[in-house]
Amino acid sequence: MLSPLVLVVFFSFGSNQNATFPVGALTLDWYRVLFKNPEFWVGLKNSLVITVSVGVLSTVIGTCAAMGITKLKSTKANTVISALSLPIMMPPLVLALALVSIYSGLGIRMGVHTVIMSHLVFTQPFVIVIVNAQLANFNFASVDSARDLGASPMRSFFDIVLPNIRPTIIGAALIAMAISLDDFIITFFTIGNGMTLPTLIWGMMRTSLDPSINALGTLVLFATIGFSAIALRITKYQS
Amino acid sequence: MQDQKTKILLAPAALVFTGLFVVPLSYFFVISFWRIRLYKLVQDFSFSNYVSVFQEYMHAAVFTFFISLTIAIVTTFLAFAIAYLVRFKAGRFGPFILYIAMVTMFGGYLVKIYAWKTILGTNGILNSAMLWVGMIDEPLSWLLYSPVAVVLTLLHFLLPLALLPLVGALNSITDDPILVARDLGATGYRTLVDIILPQCQPGIVSAFALSFFISAGDYVTPRLVGGPDTFMVGNFIESQFVNRLNAPLGAALAFSTLTICLIALALFRILLSRSLAPK
Repeated sequence: MLSPLVLVVFFSFGSNQNATFPVGALTLDWYRVLFKNPEFWVGLKNSLVITVSVGVLSTVIGTCAAMGITKLKSTKANTVISALSLPIMMPPLVLALALVSIYSGLGIRMGVHTVIMSHLVFTQPFVIVIVNAQLANFNFASVDSARDLGASPMRSFFDIVLPNIRPTIIGAALIAMAISLDDFIITFFTIGNGMTLPTLIWGMMRTSLDPSINALGTLVLFATIGFSAIALRITKYQS
Repeated sequence: MQDQKTKILLAPAALVFTGLFVVPLSYFFVISFWRIRLYKLVQDFSFSNYVSVFQEYMHAAVFTFFISLTIAIVTTFLAFAIAYLVRFKAGRFGPFILYIAMVTMFGGYLVKIYAWKTILGTNGILNSAMLWVGMIDEPLSWLLYSPVAVVLTLLHFLLPLALLPLVGALNSITDDPILVARDLGATGYRTLVDIILPQCQPGIVSAFALSFFISAGDYVTPRLVGGPDTFMVGNFIESQFVNRLNAPLGAALAFSTLTICLIALALFRILLSRSLAPK
Protein backbone atom coordinates (compact mmCIF):
# COMPACT_ATOMS: atom_id res chain seq x y z
CA MET A 1 0.00 0.00 0.00
CA LEU A 2 2.86 2.32 0.77
CA SER A 3 5.47 1.64 -1.89
CA PRO A 4 3.86 3.53 -4.82
CA LEU A 5 3.56 6.58 -2.57
CA VAL A 6 7.13 6.28 -1.34
CA LEU A 7 8.20 6.26 -4.97
CA VAL A 8 6.65 9.65 -5.69
CA VAL A 9 8.36 11.12 -2.64
CA PHE A 10 11.61 9.56 -3.79
CA PHE A 11 11.40 11.03 -7.29
CA SER A 12 10.56 14.48 -5.95
CA PHE A 13 14.08 14.69 -4.48
CA GLY A 14 15.93 13.16 -7.44
CA SER A 15 17.47 15.05 -10.34
CA ASN A 16 16.30 12.57 -13.00
CA GLN A 17 13.53 14.32 -14.96
CA ASN A 18 11.73 11.23 -16.21
CA ALA A 19 10.74 9.69 -12.92
CA THR A 20 12.68 6.50 -13.68
CA PHE A 21 15.62 4.85 -12.01
CA PRO A 22 18.34 5.81 -11.36
CA VAL A 23 16.81 8.65 -9.41
CA GLY A 24 19.93 10.75 -9.84
CA ALA A 25 21.56 13.14 -7.42
CA LEU A 26 19.67 14.41 -4.43
CA THR A 27 18.15 17.78 -5.24
CA LEU A 28 15.53 20.27 -4.13
CA ASP A 29 15.26 21.74 -7.64
CA TRP A 30 11.71 20.51 -8.25
CA TYR A 31 10.54 22.23 -5.09
CA ARG A 32 12.25 25.42 -6.26
CA VAL A 33 10.55 25.15 -9.64
CA LEU A 34 7.23 24.55 -7.92
CA PHE A 35 7.57 27.53 -5.57
CA LYS A 36 8.35 29.80 -8.53
CA ASN A 37 5.12 28.74 -10.23
CA PRO A 38 2.51 31.44 -9.48
CA GLU A 39 -0.30 28.90 -10.00
CA PHE A 40 1.01 26.93 -7.05
CA TRP A 41 0.43 29.88 -4.72
CA VAL A 42 -3.09 30.50 -6.06
CA GLY A 43 -3.91 26.81 -5.62
CA LEU A 44 -2.35 26.72 -2.16
CA LYS A 45 -4.36 29.75 -1.01
CA ASN A 46 -7.64 28.30 -2.31
CA SER A 47 -6.89 24.87 -0.87
CA LEU A 48 -6.13 26.42 2.53
CA VAL A 49 -9.34 28.48 2.55
CA ILE A 50 -11.44 25.47 1.49
CA THR A 51 -9.77 22.97 3.84
CA VAL A 52 -10.01 25.18 6.92
CA SER A 53 -13.60 26.30 6.22
CA VAL A 54 -14.77 22.74 5.54
CA GLY A 55 -12.95 21.52 8.66
CA VAL A 56 -14.61 24.10 10.92
CA LEU A 57 -18.10 24.01 9.37
CA SER A 58 -18.43 20.25 9.05
CA THR A 59 -17.14 19.75 12.59
CA VAL A 60 -19.66 22.19 14.09
CA ILE A 61 -22.56 20.84 12.00
CA GLY A 62 -21.52 17.21 12.47
CA THR A 63 -21.00 17.52 16.23
CA CYS A 64 -24.43 19.15 16.67
CA ALA A 65 -25.99 16.35 14.63
CA ALA A 66 -24.15 13.68 16.64
CA MET A 67 -25.44 15.28 19.87
CA GLY A 68 -28.95 15.21 18.43
CA ILE A 69 -28.61 11.60 17.30
CA THR A 70 -27.66 10.38 20.81
CA LYS A 71 -31.09 11.58 21.98
CA LEU A 72 -32.87 9.37 19.43
CA LYS A 73 -33.85 5.73 19.91
CA SER A 74 -31.17 3.40 18.55
CA THR A 75 -33.10 2.13 15.49
CA LYS A 76 -34.00 5.67 14.49
CA ALA A 77 -30.44 6.83 15.17
CA ASN A 78 -29.07 4.13 12.84
CA THR A 79 -31.49 5.14 10.10
CA VAL A 80 -30.47 8.79 10.38
CA ILE A 81 -26.75 7.92 10.29
CA SER A 82 -27.17 5.62 7.26
CA ALA A 83 -29.18 8.25 5.40
CA LEU A 84 -26.66 11.01 6.11
CA SER A 85 -23.85 8.66 4.98
CA LEU A 86 -25.39 8.08 1.54
CA PRO A 87 -23.31 10.85 -0.12
CA ILE A 88 -20.15 8.81 0.61
CA MET A 89 -21.50 5.87 -1.37
CA MET A 90 -22.46 8.00 -4.37
CA PRO A 91 -19.80 8.04 -7.12
CA PRO A 92 -18.17 11.49 -6.84
CA LEU A 93 -18.68 12.19 -10.54
CA VAL A 94 -22.46 11.81 -10.28
CA LEU A 95 -22.62 13.97 -7.16
CA ALA A 96 -20.39 16.59 -8.78
CA LEU A 97 -22.51 16.80 -11.93
CA ALA A 98 -25.75 16.94 -9.93
CA LEU A 99 -24.33 19.82 -7.90
CA VAL A 100 -23.09 21.67 -11.00
CA SER A 101 -26.50 21.25 -12.63
CA ILE A 102 -28.35 22.72 -9.69
CA TYR A 103 -25.87 25.58 -9.23
CA SER A 104 -26.16 26.59 -12.86
CA GLY A 105 -29.93 25.95 -12.83
CA LEU A 106 -30.30 28.38 -9.94
CA GLY A 107 -27.82 30.82 -11.44
CA ILE A 108 -25.36 30.50 -8.53
CA ARG A 109 -21.88 31.65 -9.55
CA MET A 110 -19.31 28.99 -8.86
CA GLY A 111 -16.09 29.47 -6.96
CA VAL A 112 -14.43 28.66 -3.67
CA HIS A 113 -17.73 29.11 -1.79
CA THR A 114 -19.55 26.47 -3.87
CA VAL A 115 -16.65 24.05 -3.31
CA ILE A 116 -16.93 24.56 0.46
CA MET A 117 -20.71 23.93 0.38
CA SER A 118 -20.27 20.83 -1.75
CA HIS A 119 -17.56 19.34 0.44
CA LEU A 120 -19.76 19.60 3.55
CA VAL A 121 -22.18 16.99 2.28
CA PHE A 122 -19.58 14.21 2.15
CA THR A 123 -17.35 15.29 5.07
CA GLN A 124 -20.14 15.68 7.67
CA PRO A 125 -20.98 11.92 7.72
CA PHE A 126 -17.40 11.15 8.82
CA VAL A 127 -17.61 13.72 11.65
CA ILE A 128 -21.03 12.41 12.71
CA VAL A 129 -19.93 8.76 12.80
CA ILE A 130 -16.70 9.52 14.68
CA VAL A 131 -18.24 11.87 17.28
CA ASN A 132 -21.33 9.69 17.68
CA ALA A 133 -19.18 6.63 18.44
CA GLN A 134 -17.46 8.59 21.21
CA LEU A 135 -20.70 10.01 22.63
CA ALA A 136 -22.10 6.48 22.88
CA ASN A 137 -19.54 5.87 25.65
CA PHE A 138 -20.24 9.17 27.35
CA ASN A 139 -22.18 9.16 30.58
CA PHE A 140 -24.89 11.78 30.28
CA ALA A 141 -25.72 11.52 33.99
CA SER A 142 -23.08 14.17 34.68
CA VAL A 143 -24.87 16.53 32.29
CA ASP A 144 -28.16 15.86 34.07
CA SER A 145 -26.58 16.67 37.42
CA ALA A 146 -25.13 19.89 36.06
CA ARG A 147 -28.55 20.85 34.70
CA ASP A 148 -30.16 20.00 38.05
CA LEU A 149 -27.65 22.26 39.75
CA GLY A 150 -28.80 25.10 37.51
CA ALA A 151 -26.30 25.10 34.63
CA SER A 152 -27.72 26.26 31.30
CA PRO A 153 -27.67 23.75 28.39
CA MET A 154 -24.91 25.77 26.73
CA ARG A 155 -22.89 25.93 29.91
CA SER A 156 -23.21 22.21 30.58
CA PHE A 157 -22.14 21.46 27.01
CA PHE A 158 -19.04 23.66 27.10
CA ASP A 159 -18.04 22.73 30.67
CA ILE A 160 -18.80 19.02 30.74
CA VAL A 161 -19.39 17.42 27.33
CA LEU A 162 -16.83 19.33 25.28
CA PRO A 163 -13.77 18.76 27.50
CA ASN A 164 -14.55 15.04 27.46
CA ILE A 165 -14.88 14.68 23.72
CA ARG A 166 -12.41 17.36 22.62
CA PRO A 167 -9.75 14.96 21.23
CA THR A 168 -12.41 13.16 19.22
CA ILE A 169 -13.74 16.42 17.80
CA ILE A 170 -10.27 17.56 16.78
CA GLY A 171 -9.64 14.14 15.23
CA ALA A 172 -12.91 14.33 13.30
CA ALA A 173 -12.03 17.82 12.07
CA LEU A 174 -8.65 16.62 10.82
CA ILE A 175 -10.21 13.69 8.93
CA ALA A 176 -12.73 16.09 7.34
CA MET A 177 -9.83 18.37 6.36
CA ALA A 178 -7.81 15.50 4.86
CA ILE A 179 -10.80 14.41 2.75
CA SER A 180 -11.52 17.97 1.65
CA LEU A 181 -7.89 18.75 0.79
CA ASP A 182 -7.54 15.57 -1.25
CA ASP A 183 -10.81 15.81 -3.15
CA PHE A 184 -10.35 16.38 -6.84
CA ILE A 185 -13.53 15.42 -8.70
CA ILE A 186 -16.11 17.48 -6.79
CA THR A 187 -13.70 20.42 -6.52
CA PHE A 188 -12.85 20.36 -10.21
CA PHE A 189 -16.49 20.66 -11.27
CA THR A 190 -17.76 23.08 -8.62
CA ILE A 191 -14.93 25.62 -8.54
CA GLY A 192 -15.71 27.29 -11.87
CA ASN A 193 -12.52 28.85 -13.18
CA GLY A 194 -10.53 28.61 -9.97
CA MET A 195 -7.95 26.05 -8.96
CA THR A 196 -6.77 24.14 -5.91
CA LEU A 197 -3.69 21.98 -5.39
CA PRO A 198 -5.38 18.77 -6.64
CA THR A 199 -6.72 20.50 -9.76
CA LEU A 200 -3.21 21.83 -10.35
CA ILE A 201 -1.84 18.26 -10.11
CA TRP A 202 -4.48 17.22 -12.64
CA GLY A 203 -3.44 20.03 -14.98
CA MET A 204 0.22 19.08 -14.69
CA MET A 205 -0.54 15.40 -15.29
CA ARG A 206 -2.47 16.18 -18.42
CA THR A 207 -0.19 18.70 -20.07
CA SER A 208 3.47 17.86 -19.70
CA LEU A 209 5.76 15.61 -17.78
CA ASP A 210 6.65 18.37 -15.39
CA PRO A 211 8.87 16.82 -12.70
CA SER A 212 7.71 19.36 -10.12
CA ILE A 213 4.47 17.34 -10.06
CA ASN A 214 6.33 14.87 -7.83
CA ALA A 215 7.15 17.72 -5.47
CA LEU A 216 3.55 18.97 -5.45
CA GLY A 217 2.20 15.44 -5.00
CA THR A 218 4.57 14.89 -2.09
CA LEU A 219 3.38 18.09 -0.38
CA VAL A 220 -0.32 17.19 -0.72
CA LEU A 221 0.42 13.62 0.35
CA PHE A 222 2.27 14.70 3.47
CA ALA A 223 -0.51 17.12 4.40
CA THR A 224 -3.35 14.58 4.06
CA ILE A 225 -1.40 11.71 5.61
CA GLY A 226 -0.21 14.04 8.38
CA PHE A 227 -3.80 15.08 9.18
CA SER A 228 -4.92 11.43 9.29
CA ALA A 229 -1.95 10.33 11.38
CA ILE A 230 -2.51 13.07 13.99
CA ALA A 231 -6.23 12.30 14.01
CA LEU A 232 -5.54 8.61 14.63
CA ARG A 233 -3.07 9.39 17.36
CA ILE A 234 -5.34 11.68 19.36
CA THR A 235 -8.48 9.61 18.96
CA LYS A 236 -6.45 6.43 19.64
CA TYR A 237 -8.14 4.40 16.87
CA GLN A 238 -11.48 4.69 18.58
CA SER A 239 -13.43 4.74 15.35
CA MET B 1 -39.19 20.23 24.60
CA GLN B 2 -36.59 17.46 24.35
CA ASP B 3 -37.79 16.66 20.83
CA GLN B 4 -37.51 20.29 19.85
CA LYS B 5 -33.89 20.43 20.96
CA THR B 6 -32.99 17.27 19.06
CA LYS B 7 -34.56 18.76 15.94
CA ILE B 8 -32.60 22.00 16.28
CA LEU B 9 -29.34 20.05 16.72
CA LEU B 10 -30.04 17.94 13.63
CA ALA B 11 -31.32 20.83 11.50
CA PRO B 12 -28.00 22.08 10.02
CA ALA B 13 -26.88 18.58 8.98
CA ALA B 14 -30.34 17.85 7.57
CA LEU B 15 -30.22 21.13 5.63
CA VAL B 16 -26.82 20.29 4.13
CA PHE B 17 -28.00 16.77 3.27
CA THR B 18 -31.24 17.94 1.67
CA GLY B 19 -29.94 21.03 -0.07
CA LEU B 20 -26.71 19.56 -1.38
CA PHE B 21 -27.62 15.91 -1.92
CA VAL B 22 -31.35 15.14 -2.15
CA VAL B 23 -32.37 18.24 -4.12
CA PRO B 24 -29.43 18.24 -6.59
CA LEU B 25 -29.81 14.52 -7.30
CA SER B 26 -33.58 14.83 -7.75
CA TYR B 27 -33.07 17.75 -10.12
CA PHE B 28 -30.40 15.74 -11.94
CA PHE B 29 -32.88 12.88 -12.26
CA VAL B 30 -35.55 15.22 -13.66
CA ILE B 31 -33.02 16.65 -16.13
CA SER B 32 -32.43 13.16 -17.51
CA PHE B 33 -35.90 13.39 -19.08
CA TRP B 34 -35.28 16.83 -20.59
CA ARG B 35 -33.73 17.68 -23.92
CA ILE B 36 -31.14 20.02 -25.33
CA ARG B 37 -32.18 22.38 -28.10
CA LEU B 38 -29.74 24.92 -29.46
CA TYR B 39 -27.46 24.37 -26.47
CA LYS B 40 -30.25 25.18 -24.04
CA LEU B 41 -32.05 22.90 -21.62
CA VAL B 42 -35.67 22.37 -22.65
CA GLN B 43 -38.18 20.98 -20.17
CA ASP B 44 -39.74 17.87 -21.54
CA PHE B 45 -40.75 14.41 -20.51
CA SER B 46 -39.21 11.92 -22.86
CA PHE B 47 -37.33 8.70 -22.56
CA SER B 48 -35.27 9.50 -25.64
CA ASN B 49 -32.11 9.96 -23.55
CA TYR B 50 -32.52 6.53 -22.05
CA VAL B 51 -33.15 5.09 -25.49
CA SER B 52 -29.87 6.59 -26.75
CA VAL B 53 -28.10 5.28 -23.68
CA PHE B 54 -29.15 1.75 -24.62
CA GLN B 55 -28.42 2.21 -28.29
CA GLU B 56 -25.08 4.02 -28.12
CA TYR B 57 -23.49 3.19 -24.81
CA MET B 58 -24.34 -0.45 -24.18
CA HIS B 59 -20.78 -1.54 -25.01
CA ALA B 60 -19.33 0.97 -22.52
CA ALA B 61 -21.82 -0.11 -19.86
CA VAL B 62 -21.03 -3.81 -20.35
CA PHE B 63 -17.28 -3.13 -20.31
CA THR B 64 -17.57 -0.96 -17.19
CA PHE B 65 -19.71 -3.58 -15.50
CA PHE B 66 -17.18 -6.37 -16.05
CA ILE B 67 -14.07 -4.36 -15.21
CA SER B 68 -15.72 -3.00 -12.02
CA LEU B 69 -16.87 -6.49 -11.09
CA THR B 70 -13.31 -7.79 -11.56
CA ILE B 71 -11.89 -4.98 -9.44
CA ALA B 72 -14.53 -5.41 -6.74
CA ILE B 73 -14.04 -9.19 -6.49
CA VAL B 74 -10.23 -9.01 -6.45
CA THR B 75 -10.24 -6.11 -3.96
CA THR B 76 -12.71 -7.79 -1.60
CA PHE B 77 -10.81 -11.09 -1.76
CA LEU B 78 -7.43 -9.47 -1.11
CA ALA B 79 -8.80 -7.20 1.60
CA PHE B 80 -10.36 -10.21 3.30
CA ALA B 81 -7.06 -12.08 3.14
CA ILE B 82 -5.25 -9.13 4.71
CA ALA B 83 -7.96 -8.61 7.33
CA TYR B 84 -7.81 -12.33 8.15
CA LEU B 85 -4.04 -12.13 8.62
CA VAL B 86 -4.42 -9.02 10.78
CA ARG B 87 -6.99 -10.73 12.99
CA PHE B 88 -5.54 -14.23 13.32
CA LYS B 89 -1.95 -14.46 12.13
CA ALA B 90 -0.07 -11.19 12.06
CA GLY B 91 0.26 -10.72 15.80
CA ARG B 92 2.00 -7.46 16.50
CA PHE B 93 2.15 -6.53 12.82
CA GLY B 94 -1.65 -6.43 12.69
CA PRO B 95 -2.13 -2.99 14.22
CA PHE B 96 0.72 -1.67 12.09
CA ILE B 97 -0.88 -2.85 8.83
CA LEU B 98 -4.17 -1.35 9.96
CA TYR B 99 -2.49 1.92 10.82
CA ILE B 100 -0.91 2.17 7.36
CA ALA B 101 -4.27 1.43 5.77
CA MET B 102 -6.05 4.12 7.76
CA VAL B 103 -3.38 6.74 7.27
CA THR B 104 -3.18 6.29 3.50
CA MET B 105 -6.94 5.95 3.07
CA PHE B 106 -7.88 9.60 2.87
CA GLY B 107 -4.86 10.88 0.98
CA GLY B 108 -3.46 11.13 -2.45
CA TYR B 109 -6.15 9.98 -4.89
CA LEU B 110 -4.42 11.69 -7.81
CA VAL B 111 -0.95 10.97 -6.48
CA LYS B 112 -1.72 7.25 -6.35
CA ILE B 113 -2.83 7.27 -9.99
CA TYR B 114 0.24 9.25 -10.93
CA ALA B 115 2.50 6.83 -9.06
CA TRP B 116 1.10 3.88 -11.05
CA LYS B 117 1.70 5.79 -14.25
CA THR B 118 5.39 5.99 -13.42
CA ILE B 119 5.52 2.36 -12.27
CA LEU B 120 3.84 0.83 -15.33
CA GLY B 121 5.28 2.99 -18.12
CA THR B 122 7.62 1.56 -20.78
CA ASN B 123 10.55 3.18 -18.94
CA GLY B 124 8.87 2.51 -15.61
CA ILE B 125 10.17 0.54 -12.70
CA LEU B 126 8.33 -2.67 -13.42
CA ASN B 127 9.56 -2.92 -16.99
CA SER B 128 13.10 -1.90 -16.05
CA ALA B 129 13.18 -4.48 -13.29
CA MET B 130 11.91 -7.28 -15.53
CA LEU B 131 14.39 -6.33 -18.27
CA TRP B 132 17.19 -6.33 -15.77
CA VAL B 133 16.27 -9.74 -14.37
CA GLY B 134 15.92 -11.03 -17.90
CA MET B 135 12.26 -12.02 -17.70
CA ILE B 136 11.49 -10.05 -20.86
CA ASP B 137 13.53 -8.85 -23.85
CA GLU B 138 11.76 -5.59 -24.49
CA PRO B 139 9.48 -3.39 -22.35
CA LEU B 140 5.87 -4.54 -22.18
CA SER B 141 3.94 -1.64 -23.65
CA TRP B 142 0.54 -2.99 -22.61
CA LEU B 143 1.21 -2.51 -18.91
CA LEU B 144 0.29 1.15 -18.97
CA TYR B 145 -2.67 2.52 -20.95
CA SER B 146 -4.62 -0.70 -20.71
CA PRO B 147 -7.43 -2.22 -18.62
CA VAL B 148 -4.71 -3.96 -16.58
CA ALA B 149 -3.40 -0.58 -15.44
CA VAL B 150 -6.93 0.52 -14.47
CA VAL B 151 -7.49 -2.64 -12.43
CA LEU B 152 -4.13 -2.33 -10.63
CA THR B 153 -4.51 1.38 -9.88
CA LEU B 154 -8.06 1.09 -8.55
CA LEU B 155 -7.16 -2.04 -6.58
CA HIS B 156 -4.42 -0.13 -4.83
CA PHE B 157 -6.67 2.85 -4.16
CA LEU B 158 -9.60 0.75 -2.89
CA LEU B 159 -7.71 -1.75 -0.74
CA PRO B 160 -7.57 0.36 2.45
CA LEU B 161 -11.24 1.35 2.05
CA ALA B 162 -12.32 -2.29 1.66
CA LEU B 163 -10.07 -3.41 4.49
CA LEU B 164 -11.79 -1.44 7.24
CA PRO B 165 -15.30 -2.97 7.16
CA LEU B 166 -13.72 -6.45 6.95
CA VAL B 167 -11.39 -5.85 9.89
CA GLY B 168 -14.39 -4.55 11.83
CA ALA B 169 -16.39 -7.65 10.95
CA LEU B 170 -13.56 -10.04 11.85
CA ASN B 171 -12.87 -8.27 15.13
CA SER B 172 -16.47 -8.68 16.23
CA ILE B 173 -16.13 -12.48 16.00
CA THR B 174 -15.17 -13.90 19.37
CA ASP B 175 -12.57 -16.62 19.72
CA ASP B 176 -14.88 -19.09 21.50
CA PRO B 177 -16.87 -20.56 18.57
CA ILE B 178 -13.67 -20.85 16.55
CA LEU B 179 -11.91 -22.73 19.34
CA VAL B 180 -14.94 -24.95 19.84
CA ALA B 181 -15.02 -25.80 16.13
CA ARG B 182 -11.31 -26.63 16.21
CA ASP B 183 -11.76 -28.81 19.31
CA LEU B 184 -14.56 -30.68 17.58
CA GLY B 185 -12.14 -31.49 14.77
CA ALA B 186 -13.05 -28.91 12.11
CA THR B 187 -10.25 -28.10 9.67
CA GLY B 188 -9.09 -24.51 9.20
CA TYR B 189 -11.01 -24.36 5.93
CA ARG B 190 -14.28 -25.62 7.46
CA THR B 191 -13.96 -23.14 10.32
CA LEU B 192 -13.49 -20.34 7.80
CA VAL B 193 -16.47 -21.33 5.67
CA ASP B 194 -18.89 -22.36 8.42
CA ILE B 195 -18.06 -19.98 11.25
CA ILE B 196 -16.04 -16.99 10.12
CA LEU B 197 -17.44 -16.13 6.69
CA PRO B 198 -21.16 -16.23 7.63
CA GLN B 199 -20.51 -13.77 10.44
CA CYS B 200 -18.57 -11.44 8.14
CA GLN B 201 -21.35 -11.12 5.58
CA PRO B 202 -22.24 -7.46 6.22
CA GLY B 203 -18.54 -6.54 6.12
CA ILE B 204 -18.02 -8.43 2.84
CA VAL B 205 -21.05 -6.72 1.30
CA SER B 206 -19.81 -3.25 2.36
CA ALA B 207 -16.32 -3.89 1.01
CA PHE B 208 -17.70 -5.21 -2.27
CA ALA B 209 -20.27 -2.41 -2.63
CA LEU B 210 -17.71 0.29 -1.96
CA SER B 211 -15.17 -1.06 -4.46
CA PHE B 212 -17.82 -1.78 -7.08
CA PHE B 213 -19.50 1.64 -6.90
CA ILE B 214 -16.30 3.65 -6.82
CA SER B 215 -14.83 1.71 -9.77
CA ALA B 216 -18.01 1.98 -11.83
CA GLY B 217 -18.23 5.72 -11.26
CA ASP B 218 -14.58 6.57 -11.74
CA TYR B 219 -13.46 8.43 -14.82
CA VAL B 220 -10.11 9.84 -13.72
CA THR B 221 -8.27 6.51 -13.51
CA PRO B 222 -9.33 5.21 -16.96
CA ARG B 223 -8.54 8.63 -18.43
CA LEU B 224 -5.02 8.77 -17.01
CA VAL B 225 -3.82 5.16 -17.14
CA GLY B 226 -6.45 3.40 -19.26
CA GLY B 227 -5.31 4.46 -22.71
CA PRO B 228 -7.49 5.12 -25.76
CA ASP B 229 -9.33 1.79 -25.65
CA THR B 230 -10.36 1.80 -22.02
CA PHE B 231 -13.38 4.05 -21.97
CA MET B 232 -15.61 3.53 -19.00
CA VAL B 233 -19.09 4.93 -18.50
CA GLY B 234 -17.67 7.71 -16.31
CA ASN B 235 -15.66 9.01 -19.27
CA PHE B 236 -18.77 9.16 -21.44
CA ILE B 237 -20.81 10.86 -18.72
CA GLU B 238 -18.09 13.44 -18.23
CA SER B 239 -17.69 14.03 -21.96
CA GLN B 240 -21.46 14.55 -22.41
CA PHE B 241 -21.19 17.39 -19.90
CA VAL B 242 -17.86 18.94 -20.71
CA ASN B 243 -17.48 18.48 -24.46
CA ARG B 244 -20.96 18.00 -25.85
CA LEU B 245 -22.84 20.10 -23.29
CA ASN B 246 -25.58 17.51 -23.27
CA ALA B 247 -26.43 17.34 -19.57
CA PRO B 248 -29.67 15.34 -20.03
CA LEU B 249 -27.94 12.49 -21.84
CA GLY B 250 -25.13 12.50 -19.27
CA ALA B 251 -27.70 12.37 -16.47
CA ALA B 252 -29.58 9.50 -18.12
CA LEU B 253 -26.31 7.63 -18.51
CA ALA B 254 -25.46 8.23 -14.84
CA PHE B 255 -28.82 6.98 -13.57
CA SER B 256 -28.81 3.93 -15.86
CA THR B 257 -25.37 3.00 -14.51
CA LEU B 258 -26.49 3.51 -10.91
CA THR B 259 -29.52 1.30 -11.49
CA ILE B 260 -27.43 -1.48 -13.04
CA CYS B 261 -24.98 -1.25 -10.13
CA LEU B 262 -27.76 -1.46 -7.54
CA ILE B 263 -29.23 -4.54 -9.25
CA ALA B 264 -25.76 -6.13 -9.39
CA LEU B 265 -25.24 -5.40 -5.71
CA ALA B 266 -28.59 -6.95 -4.78
CA LEU B 267 -27.68 -10.07 -6.80
CA PHE B 268 -24.30 -10.24 -5.08
CA ARG B 269 -25.97 -10.12 -1.67
CA ILE B 270 -28.37 -12.93 -2.57
CA LEU B 271 -25.62 -15.09 -4.06
CA LEU B 272 -23.39 -14.53 -1.05
CA SER B 273 -26.00 -15.41 1.55
CA ARG B 274 -27.08 -18.47 -0.50
CA SER B 275 -23.53 -19.76 -0.77
CA LEU B 276 -22.81 -19.15 2.91
CA ALA B 277 -26.07 -20.62 4.16
CA PRO B 278 -25.55 -23.74 6.30
CA LYS B 279 -26.01 -26.90 4.28
